[in-house]
Amino acid sequence: MRIIAIITFLGVLCTTTYSFGNAAMYARVSNPTSIKGGLKHKKSVRVGQDTTRKAADTAAVGIPPRKSPIATRLVSKTDSLGVEKLSRAPWVSLQQYLKGEAAGVYVNEPTSEPGTIQNMFIHGTSQPLLSAREAYQTQPLVVLDGVPLVAEHPYAFDIQQYKYNRIGPDINTLTNINMANIESVEVLKGLNATAIYGPKGANGVIVLTSKGAGTIRRITFDSYAGVVSPNAVTTINGRFENDFRKQFYNKYTSTGSFSNNDTYPLFLSDSLNNAFYGPSNWTNLYYNTSTVYSVNASISGGDERANFSFQIGDTKMGGVADNTNLNRYNARFLLNMKPLNWFTFSAMVTANYELRDRNKNVRDRLAQVNYIPDLSTPIAPEESKYRSYLAQFDKGFDKNKENLVTGYIKALIELGKFRFVSTFGVDYNEGYRDIFYPRTLLQNTNYASDYFGYNQRITIDNVATYDYDLNANNKFHFTLGNQFQYDFYRYSYDYAYKGSTDFIKINLLNSDPNKSNYLTSQVFQSQLIYKFLDKTKNNQISFFGKADYSLKEKYNFSLLLRADGSSNQQPTDRWFYSPVLSAGWDIKKEDFLKDSKSISALNLHGSVGRMGRYENFDNYGQGPQYTAFIGFTGNLITPGYNGIATLSRPYSAGYVPYNLKWAYTDQANLGIDGEFLNKRLFLSLEGYYKHDKNMLLGVPSAAEYGYTSVIRNGMAIRNTGIDATITGVILPSDSKVSWTSSLNMNFNHNTLTALPGGLNQLVVGNGSKLLKVGESVDSYWLLTNQGIYNSDAEVPTVAGKKMTYNGIIMKTGDPRWLDVNGDNQITDADRTLKGHALPTVSGGWSNDFSYKKWTLGLNFYYNIGRQLLNQDMANRFDFYNREGLNDISSVKEVTFWEKRGDYSKYPIYNPSSAVAPYQVNQDLFLENASFVKLRTLSLGYDLTSQMKKKHPNIRKFYIYGSVSNVFTLTKYTGQDPELADYTGYDTGYGMQFPKTYIIGVKADF
Amino acid sequence: MKKIILLSLIFFTLIADSCKKTLDVNSPRVVNETNYWNTLEDARAALMGVYGLTRAALADNNGHWLYGDVRMGNFESPIRQDLKAIIRNDLNASYPVVNQLSNWRRFYAIVNSANIFLERIAEVKAKDLRYTSNNMTVDVAQVRFLRAFAYFYMARIWGDVPLILTSRDGTFENRARSDQNAVLAYAQSEMEAAAAALPYLYSNQDLQQPGLYYGQSRAFWSGSLVTKLGAYAMLCHVAAWQGKYIDVIRYSKFVLTNYNVFGNLSYTSTPALCSSTGLFYANPNSVHDNQLFGFSFTWNNQDASFSGNIESLVLASPVVNKNIPDIYVPKDSILSIFKEPNDSRFNIDTTGTVHADAISGNKVGYFTNFLGKYPIFAKINVQLGGNGDGTFRLFSSTILLTRLEDVTLLQAEAYAVLGETALATTDLNTVRQIRYNVDQQGLTNQNATDYNAYSLAGSGPLLEAIFRERQKELMGEGQHWYDKVRYEKIKQSNPQFLQLINSGGIFWPISRDLLAQNPLLTQNSYWK
Repeated sequence: MRIIAIITFLGVLCTTTYSFGNAAMYARVSNPTSIKGGLKHKKSVRVGQDTTRKAADTAAVGIPPRKSPIATRLVSKTDSLGVEKLSRAPWVSLQQYLKGEAAGVYVNEPTSEPGTIQNMFIHGTSQPLLSAREAYQTQPLVVLDGVPLVAEHPYAFDIQQYKYNRIGPDINTLTNINMANIESVEVLKGLNATAIYGPKGANGVIVLTSKGAGTIRRITFDSYAGVVSPNAVTTINGRFENDFRKQFYNKYTSTGSFSNNDTYPLFLSDSLNNAFYGPSNWTNLYYNTSTVYSVNASISGGDERANFSFQIGDTKMGGVADNTNLNRYNARFLLNMKPLNWFTFSAMVTANYELRDRNKNVRDRLAQVNYIPDLSTPIAPEESKYRSYLAQFDKGFDKNKENLVTGYIKALIELGKFRFVSTFGVDYNEGYRDIFYPRTLLQNTNYASDYFGYNQRITIDNVATYDYDLNANNKFHFTLGNQFQYDFYRYSYDYAYKGSTDFIKINLLNSDPNKSNYLTSQVFQSQLIYKFLDKTKNNQISFFGKADYSLKEKYNFSLLLRADGSSNQQPTDRWFYSPVLSAGWDIKKEDFLKDSKSISALNLHGSVGRMGRYENFDNYGQGPQYTAFIGFTGNLITPGYNGIATLSRPYSAGYVPYNLKWAYTDQANLGIDGEFLNKRLFLSLEGYYKHDKNMLLGVPSAAEYGYTSVIRNGMAIRNTGIDATITGVILPSDSKVSWTSSLNMNFNHNTLTALPGGLNQLVVGNGSKLLKVGESVDSYWLLTNQGIYNSDAEVPTVAGKKMTYNGIIMKTGDPRWLDVNGDNQITDADRTLKGHALPTVSGGWSNDFSYKKWTLGLNFYYNIGRQLLNQDMANRFDFYNREGLNDISSVKEVTFWEKRGDYSKYPIYNPSSAVAPYQVNQDLFLENASFVKLRTLSLGYDLTSQMKKKHPNIRKFYIYGSVSNVFTLTKYTGQDPELADYTGYDTGYGMQFPKTYIIGVKADF
Repeated sequence: MKKIILLSLIFFTLIADSCKKTLDVNSPRVVNETNYWNTLEDARAALMGVYGLTRAALADNNGHWLYGDVRMGNFESPIRQDLKAIIRNDLNASYPVVNQLSNWRRFYAIVNSANIFLERIAEVKAKDLRYTSNNMTVDVAQVRFLRAFAYFYMARIWGDVPLILTSRDGTFENRARSDQNAVLAYAQSEMEAAAAALPYLYSNQDLQQPGLYYGQSRAFWSGSLVTKLGAYAMLCHVAAWQGKYIDVIRYSKFVLTNYNVFGNLSYTSTPALCSSTGLFYANPNSVHDNQLFGFSFTWNNQDASFSGNIESLVLASPVVNKNIPDIYVPKDSILSIFKEPNDSRFNIDTTGTVHADAISGNKVGYFTNFLGKYPIFAKINVQLGGNGDGTFRLFSSTILLTRLEDVTLLQAEAYAVLGETALATTDLNTVRQIRYNVDQQGLTNQNATDYNAYSLAGSGPLLEAIFRERQKELMGEGQHWYDKVRYEKIKQSNPQFLQLINSGGIFWPISRDLLAQNPLLTQNSYWK
């Protein structure tokens, strides 16, 4: 917050003291990304009238960045709105902005809760996605104005028994992008564009360029406000649940219980209990209409020697349930100075202060508390009971906040054809979470916790370029660069149980140094205060050289060579050397097309190369090692033995041998962009081949040496596919009604091509996932369900032996699973790989209409070829086993009382059977989760000319309204096909996507 | 020109040097080989690591009790389906806990850490003068004992297990299962060798361990490390499991003649046994020599745990705030097990009043809430630091593998098997003297010699009486299953159980995960 105040002060100071010049030239250090681009792609594909608008950041640079077709998509919607159009949507995170906007980018939004973690995958996944660890390693690099942003490192999960959320505020750090400030968003996918960003960009790079300062005094104001309103849900009560369960008892028991020791849950057995058998009206308190708003204002000005831009904003995104929301305050200040003709200096700082109100899920709370109280009575569905439960939270607090600061200082030296840009960039984000849960929430035990953690990346980046034109036909461009990156992550965390009072909500220490109790806790027992401190750091050094060559402006070639050193690699293999070769052919310039009227642009480009993949964990670089971990199932944080810290091999985490090498990615792509039919049809097609090789994998082995696995190089995953973007100007903009339609599509095929040590298949993830060479890594490993055995006689008998499931003889009421290998035993060998957790086809379809000054936009988002495992339903049917487990997986949320899914789809098995008939890993619960959504519907009106009459200073005045999440078309029977994380298990924890209605205004003075 | 070359050379040297420095980052999260096995503290951390891993292996998924007490034992489970499967010996059932318990990896972590310790400890000896040869001898003895203990434990659960005595660091090689008799013989000889080098007590001017052990006091180490007597006590178990009852007597005699001479042990009274700050409680400031061999979760060291103890399985309402216990002993079973009169652990008078209650009143016994739906087995009940109010289910009881009463009863068993009825009766009565010493109202008799001694009429045949006494005395300490197996092997009278013994059904199946990793392993025949 303080840094925001400082920026605000600076901004106000500049605004009030500066006289606004009006010169034509202005100073600005160009973003190094523009130097780093790649091949020339001079004629960017643009739609609408404004085809000449240049990206501001390329103004001072020789070679503008090769905008990838996707990037073009992003910046070239109709009417030069581009990013501006995105900025009018009520989103807060970069992932939300990118969803369905760019071919090849798949965004996973497992809940609509504002500010939560979301993941992006560019061209599929390069890891089997089992946990946050792999998700982290597959995320693209985000670069804001040349500063690579740092993400929350998942190392903190190591101390967490329940890994649903990372400790701390768990705020999506990519909520720090204020789209109103952004000039352009580029999604770089192939190595031709990403190579310049090095190993951290191996999963793709998203380059964000902020708006610069101008020489003309300019004030902008934009704002929207609206409401988020929940979709109606059907609720159920205890009677419904009781009736549901009774059918199992009626079918399989004569006495109403499966054994003498059965206990029917109390909350269902008393039908006079109004809390469970009464009205199920908890939704009145859970779902709520909430507000969203955003206010942004900016001012910029200056002259050719010095100019600035200053912006402040506040955005709030309300959630639709549980009173969740995210509130972001941000400020940005940019200053450019050109003290000498050959020297330009530029500095920028942007700061965000974010506050998040989290959900009150029981599971998430207990995971945080790390203690499971008695769970036999769930939250009642009756409103007054639920209200009194919620009221307990008011006696405590759960404060989540995050400060995110990004800044740079750049210096540009320009001596003729020689340019040198040096950038010092810092990205820092720190999170705080302070919790106090009163006794009434946890069976007479209160809980207090504090977290502070930060992630920091310092980048020093030097780039020198030299242009050499041999003659008009032969042009060269040379680039030399080096980069130092210092990443540091740290957190301190503590929690305590059983304070002596609910009134002191923090760990208050005795403060008299003269007393013997100095620095002991006043309210918590010292044995019940747990403290953690952890940090990890890694450094990266890179050198690269690049030569670009252009022959007659028609044929372009570029060769890049890199050397990357990482402290996370073992000393013997610290450096990785890689080349990337790109080529382009501007066919339009050829004689045979020069005069063609129907083809106004045609460009062929391709690249091939190799790049290291950055290792994010510091332990692999150390070789055989020792850790302090001696925990066990149910207790990961055992501090030592007999009060003494221990060091032993990482038996649980896996053996780390010597000679681990860099993982790398081999990539190739070939694409064609064209403009046809008198610029009425724009087509971009790109085929890609991305083969991530030599990746580390913990291979389950050496169990007789105590290890869960041995870490080895050698996993390879290949993603191949096509990105396509087709834009058609169906009715051109010069007619009264215009209509532009644009479809983007990614088709991705994922294959595991190798496992370490030449293995053909491997079971990972506690036996839940099979990695098999030749199959996709996002497939599920499932039993094939073919119905039910209605009597013991139906169970197949071979040679006098009944069919078994893992050695257990099948009986009446057990599922009829397909015996794939025909040995009359159902085992893991009968599981087959099916479905995909990530879509095989995904993309968006946007339509923009305009009539006079009206504009209408429809944005669709779709996924095809994605399947989900409906764990939510599996859990409901597996009530018999889950009721007895007093563990985190048996928690019932208040949403247990919501009717989801289609009960009639599932056979009535014997729930008490030891074969686990309702286990989720069978195709009974696999569902097609393809969908098409109308994500936004927007209507706008340009009031500029009317306003100009009254106020001539107004340059632009635009009002608009929009509705988000209008409808979804899907066959999925669960809540929403989007609401599942990258593993593809729909746990029912996703918060529904609400309809968001906003109206807004954009004004430019 | 020369200057430029020279300057650029210097410049590049500097850059190269700073690169090396920048890229040499020692992880703050792990310790690599260069920084380990250098000092006395490293030796201590490694030794404690072996202990810690042993404790983790026993505590994991409450394995020690699920193996020892729950499997075909005295307990029933009201709602946990996985425990029901273990109770009915349905160990192929598809439950995560059952599968994890059939995986021996965590025991091999003990073995591997011990192997590494034995291979590397000489480096510390060479590098750190503070590390004396006596210190090393004692450390090595402990580590050898723990490794042998891990093999003994595994052989009881899986039968044949691979016998691996080197760490083979980085060049791991799959091994087939070794014959269980060889494994047990190895465990016995190793333990015997270790026992010879171990002191009776640590930091107690013992001849074999003079001075303060790692600078800590006698109370600090008491009950936490394996001692000479603890080693011999475990040897009784190893020998008994193999049916070598002559050996049992050799070892038990050592314990029972020295326990109050060189050791500081005494028989534990029923109140001390059932007290929340009694036998199962550990505190670094007082001695716990009666914890003959065990692994402590010391409250003051923040070891207390939500799982990994018997309490998390058995305690429930009204003792702690949990509605239904995971396991409990049904009333009928209690009445049939504790049917002899004058038992201080549980006694009920003719009016149906229970006079020994684990929680309320001053006549402490094993159970509470006997009249409720679920009698709660609260013999071991160390909530928080022994003073819990039942609202927070965090426990800190020691995992106790053996104690004096256990050794005494093992000796009785050995004598009984060998036909030395009189000696067996004496030993049995030694234990009975401290247990059957209450009157009809549950009040302790004034005179220590006033107790309900063994008689054929009152307690049945001697061998049965001894095993029944073990069942009562060691309930909830992870012993019952092994006692049952030994008993059936001796008696040879229960055809169903004999079938189980002969077909390998007394062992656990080997986890499917292990079989998938190591093609040399074969499943136990009974579980195929």
